[in-house]
Amino acid sequence: MTSEAILADLAQLLQNFQGREYSDTIDRHTRFFGDLGFASIDAVVLGEALERRYGQKLPFPQLLAELAQRGAEDLEVGELVDFLAQHLASSQET
Amino acid sequence: MPHQQVNGLNVHYQQAGQGDDVVLLHAVTANLSVWLFAGLMDALSQEYRVTAYDLRGHGLTETTPTGYTSVELAHDFAALHDALELQPAYLIGHSYGGVIAMHTALLCPDKVRGVILSDPYFPGLASIEPNLPRANVWIDLRESFAIAGVELPENVDFRTLFRAVADLTPQQMQALRQHLGPASARWLAGLPRLAETSCGEDLFQTAGLTAERLAEIYQPVVALYDEYSPFMATCKYLQSHLKDCVVDLVPGAKHMAPVQNPSGFTALVRHHLQRLRQRPSD
Repeated sequence: MTSEAILADLAQLLQNFQGREYSDTIDRHTRFFGDLGFASIDAVVLGEALERRYGQKLPFPQLLAELAQRGAEDLEVGELVDFLAQHLASSQET
Repeated sequence: MPHQQVNGLNVHYQQAGQGDDVVLLHAVTANLSVWLFAGLMDALSQEYRVTAYDLRGHGLTETTPTGYTSVELAHDFAALHDALELQPAYLIGHSYGGVIAMHTALLCPDKVRGVILSDPYFPGLASIEPNLPRANVWIDLRESFAIAGVELPENVDFRTLFRAVADLTPQQMQALRQHLGPASARWLAGLPRLAETSCGEDLFQTAGLTAERLAEIYQPVVALYDEYSPFMATCKYLQSHLKDCVVDLVPGAKHMAPVQNPSGFTALVRHHLQRLRQRPSD
């Protein structure tokens, strides 16, 4: 699956996530907490929604742990796209 | 979303890894995602079976009007422990999660192998702790709310805090989010639901966990207090009055170690779990 396709997928999902509408354009630089107004628990809900969407378990705790290690307080949509592209691709190779 | 019915309550939990059981108990106003954002869930699940769950009224667990004292939340934990068929576990509790962990160790010692506390204040030790009313975290919060045009009381008052967040206008919420930054602002969304509950009062009830009862706990306890903790008197008291207590400090943190120093916190928890696991069982 290409990064462009994953970004389009995510943008569609996030336009109305957990009952919150987001009318601006969602691109790689959109931030989950700063722009989309995510609550902390939304990260868990989104992770499970994406696992259902792609039909496989994904190492989201690893992604959040890496975020903590580099002291980042927010996550950009593009970082999630790259993470998904990497893990969806690696599962297709095996 | 994995949920388990316990005590008539639909409890959300997450589980990962294999090995000895470790259970993570978050603070009031937080939820289990704090352990994911801290990297603790990921780190520990490489060696242990880690269970994190949302306390009642938090995260994706149901909200009830009452039932938030430490004894009631300890009973929730005990029922979840049974339902998930866990082995005696190491409990790691941040703030009020630590109070619940200690209450569980007292009431259900067969379910607890050891406890790691992260900077808790104990209502049962109020008489020895001078700093609660003006805790630095409350002062910081008051300043942030003042910028958003909302006045919080001088002394710690969670009931008023929950109501104040529930009543914020969208503009005030936006101002507050900008001032707090993403890491703190993302916790705000969970507070309004608690305004309709007794949580704000319940968490300051001793609920049977008196100084005398705390001293009865025989499981090993690691008291991780933050370098700039408002509760150092409590830390010293635990060190000198518990049967088996080791103290360690989390550098740079001031009550929110899993958020303020996640890598330092995670390293200390791993170190002490390893140490506890290597002790001969009594």
